[in-house]
Amino acid sequence: MAQRKRAVKTEPNYFQLHPADLRKLLALALARGGDFADIFLEYRTSLSILMEEDIIKESSENVTLGLGLRVIRKDRTGYAYTNDLSEEKLKSVALTASAIASARTARKLPLPFRNLRPEKDVSRARLVASSRPLQEKIRLVERAYRSALNHNQDIKKVQVAYGESLQHIKILNSEGLLVEDKRPMVKLVVMALAEKNGRRESGFCGGGGRVGLEYFNRELTPETIGQEAAREACLLLEAVDPPAGEMPVVLSPGHSGVLIHEAVGHLLEADFIRKKTSVLWNKLGKRVGSEQLNIYDDPTRPGFRGSYNFDDEGSRPQKTLLVEKGVVRGFLQDLLSARLMKKEPTGHGRREDFSCWPLPRMANTYIDRGEYDPEEIIRSVRKGFYVSRLSGGQVEDSGQFTFSVTLGYLIEDGRLGRPVRQATLIGTNLDILRKVEMVGSDLEFGWQTGTCSKEGQDVPVADGCPTMKISGMTVGGLR
Amino acid sequence: MKAASHDLRKLAEKLVLYGRKLGADEMEVTLYDGREFNVDVRLGRIENLVEADSRYCAFRLFKDKKVASASSSDLSLATLQALVGKALKRASLTHADEFAGLPAPARFKITEDSLKLYDPEVAGLKPQEKIKMALATERIALEDRRITNSFGASFVTNELRTILVNSSGFSGEYLQTYCSLSLGLQAGHGDHLVEDYWFSSKRHLRDLAQPEEVARMAVERTVRQLNPRKVETQNVPVIFEPTMTSWLLAFLFSCVSGTAVYQQTTFLAGRLGEKIGNDLVTVVDDGLLPGRLGSRPFDSEGVPTQRTVVIENGVLRNYLCNTYAARKLNLPATGNGNGRGVVPNNFYLEPGTITPDEIIKSTRKGFLLTRVIGHGLNSVTGDISRGACGLWIEDGQAVFPVSEVTIAGNLGQVLQNIELVGNDIQFESPVCGPTIRVGEMTVAGK
Repeated sequence: MAQRKRAVKTEPNYFQLHPADLRKLLALALARGGDFADIFLEYRTSLSILMEEDIIKESSENVTLGLGLRVIRKDRTGYAYTNDLSEEKLKSVALTASAIASARTARKLPLPFRNLRPEKDVSRARLVASSRPLQEKIRLVERAYRSALNHNQDIKKVQVAYGESLQHIKILNSEGLLVEDKRPMVKLVVMALAEKNGRRESGFCGGGGRVGLEYFNRELTPETIGQEAAREACLLLEAVDPPAGEMPVVLSPGHSGVLIHEAVGHLLEADFIRKKTSVLWNKLGKRVGSEQLNIYDDPTRPGFRGSYNFDDEGSRPQKTLLVEKGVVRGFLQDLLSARLMKKEPTGHGRREDFSCWPLPRMANTYIDRGEYDPEEIIRSVRKGFYVSRLSGGQVEDSGQFTFSVTLGYLIEDGRLGRPVRQATLIGTNLDILRKVEMVGSDLEFGWQTGTCSKEGQDVPVADGCPTMKISGMTVGGLR
Repeated sequence: MKAASHDLRKLAEKLVLYGRKLGADEMEVTLYDGREFNVDVRLGRIENLVEADSRYCAFRLFKDKKVASASSSDLSLATLQALVGKALKRASLTHADEFAGLPAPARFKITEDSLKLYDPEVAGLKPQEKIKMALATERIALEDRRITNSFGASFVTNELRTILVNSSGFSGEYLQTYCSLSLGLQAGHGDHLVEDYWFSSKRHLRDLAQPEEVARMAVERTVRQLNPRKVETQNVPVIFEPTMTSWLLAFLFSCVSGTAVYQQTTFLAGRLGEKIGNDLVTVVDDGLLPGRLGSRPFDSEGVPTQRTVVIENGVLRNYLCNTYAARKLNLPATGNGNGRGVVPNNFYLEPGTITPDEIIKSTRKGFLLTRVIGHGLNSVTGDISRGACGLWIEDGQAVFPVSEVTIAGNLGQVLQNIELVGNDIQFESPVCGPTIRVGEMTVAGK
């Protein structure tokens, strides 16, 4: 593949707005006594391609342009946004957001901007997708499609979806912060449908991240993605119904990171902590689980889907220690929660787009490697359930959480037995964390396809874990 | 918003002409013009206040039976025209699809007035009034000493104009409103917390539940879960409350969507005319119910909405199709189009005559499902497996709350095993149904 070399070019001013005008806007936003104001400008282009029934069926392009303006007064947030960047409209946005405060005059004036630059770029995109020709992407899609379809005669239908986006952001706040960044993202996913003797099953696989198209030649080829999806669908044709009831559970490395995302990550998001709705709100410094548990959230992992140079409030992200040897050590902070809790921000203030205000969110969450040999972990279970693939999960503040297994295995006498289809696992986090009996030495990350939803906002995330054993968990199967 | 409507319609028309001029065989443009208000209050104070107008343009074009689409929140003519040019180029690189294209022009007469989609009272409601309603709802709930924390109350209003113009001569628009009042609560102490919420959502302010009602329901639903138990794994009858019937129907919708049928990703593909449920099961999709949340005069392609009987006394009668799925399956389009996909209009299970209380009273032993967590639904197989909370029923009475269990079954079997259908349908969401009792599902616990 040819490599394009270009001189560094100044970014075009997508927003047609100048810092001096934006500072005036912040001044207007603070005119009714707000403590803090910030502006989030976004220009995002994205492209998707869909292949099914042997043809490239459709492509779609999206342009997102807009500005969101926030005013904070104590613990209250006023928010307004617009996709019309005219001067008149922007003024009305500032006035609308400022109404959260009710003073007659400003208490603060915005400070002069200083431009903050990233320390190093977390994006690993050499061949930035948006600058590559469409044909190149269509070829990737076709390669994935063929490899899934040709995997096995039982594969009857295949769908391949390719998506890319390039988000330009500019964040300015009343404390003088000015940050600009661009964030590339790609994703290639395959769904394969297998049919045999009247029974149908589907399999899924995908990959991507903040990477360029070279990723699909070097790290994860379209062929691998296609075959994996097909393999899962075919395995499920042979799968038995899941068992029901409480039993020992072994989690596969990588995919099972969903468990820690649900059972720990969400409940350490600082908004749930300061509102005391999370069952973990009073657990800082306290033991909540097995000594083998060391949990981090790291938004700086190169190329990862959940990574960023700055969060959506312009804070530099940090690898954040959440749990050390089973003891809660930290929370995921955004600016508002950090301010109210008198803590340092950790760079976890994220938003879906300009129409949303930031919330404390996860980025790349994982359980660090432990000591046990993964084989030994499986061998230690006489009768249990092995979780191989997961499609997602959910948690509530009380700590009750679930995750959905798409493919599992029965464990019989320390060995993996027959494949098992669809089952939901349920537990309560404080109970399950205590029941983590063994943590393996094989830390892996799941596919780079995850999306996390909170209060209606979707953001890309990744998660990971080593092989783990939980001494007892309820498996929601049939009987 | 009248003047704006005129300008936007002109813009849509201009883009259709531009696409045609550049060489598109067919072109369809949709413009959305929305206004959003949202207030969240918590513990007696405003937490978030959001107000915004936003506009959005989406289009599809066809050239030699090849399709490309685009959308933009930047409505400058230069940007939109550039997107049209790029879409044409992209279309030329994809493959021809004989089923692609706009629907045949339809003649119909429904005005938005007869559908009662718009309430000037919602549009004109002052922010202070909305804040007051949210504050009142939470205050009433917090008077109950069993409630120990609040997720807050929200009042939301939306106003949305949809304009659709295509090159086959369709040109239409409608204006709709939406309002909702909701409250989330927590009860319990220490590490033993329970939570639930309640809401009301309507198009018309006068139909919206009062703060007292939303507060009462949220309190009741939260405190009834205190001190839950986990039950032994067993197969029992499961009673679905209306909000639970809603998700079951949403799952059914994904299995009767024409898109899933031609893609073969539903266990109900190829089963038209078959008896897939028992006699009690009649499911309808109706876009023409006045004032309901799922009503609209035409779908995203300009196909008029209609009443479609999907399941009639257990017999699968129709799939819900956009134009593309309809052509693939050689079936009629049903006015459920939504961009590339298919959406429900008002998709509901016909209510029966029995009250929810009578359903509970007639249950000797069973599980009353009140909440689910997790997403374990698979339309390819019909498999259901979700985390669940509810009440244990013995001799016609709720005897204790249950949590940390799962329910599992298969939609095909559930449709066959619906034993009782309640009379309490509420239309608080576009996909809805009354209380039902399903003969047997697996509740997994200890």
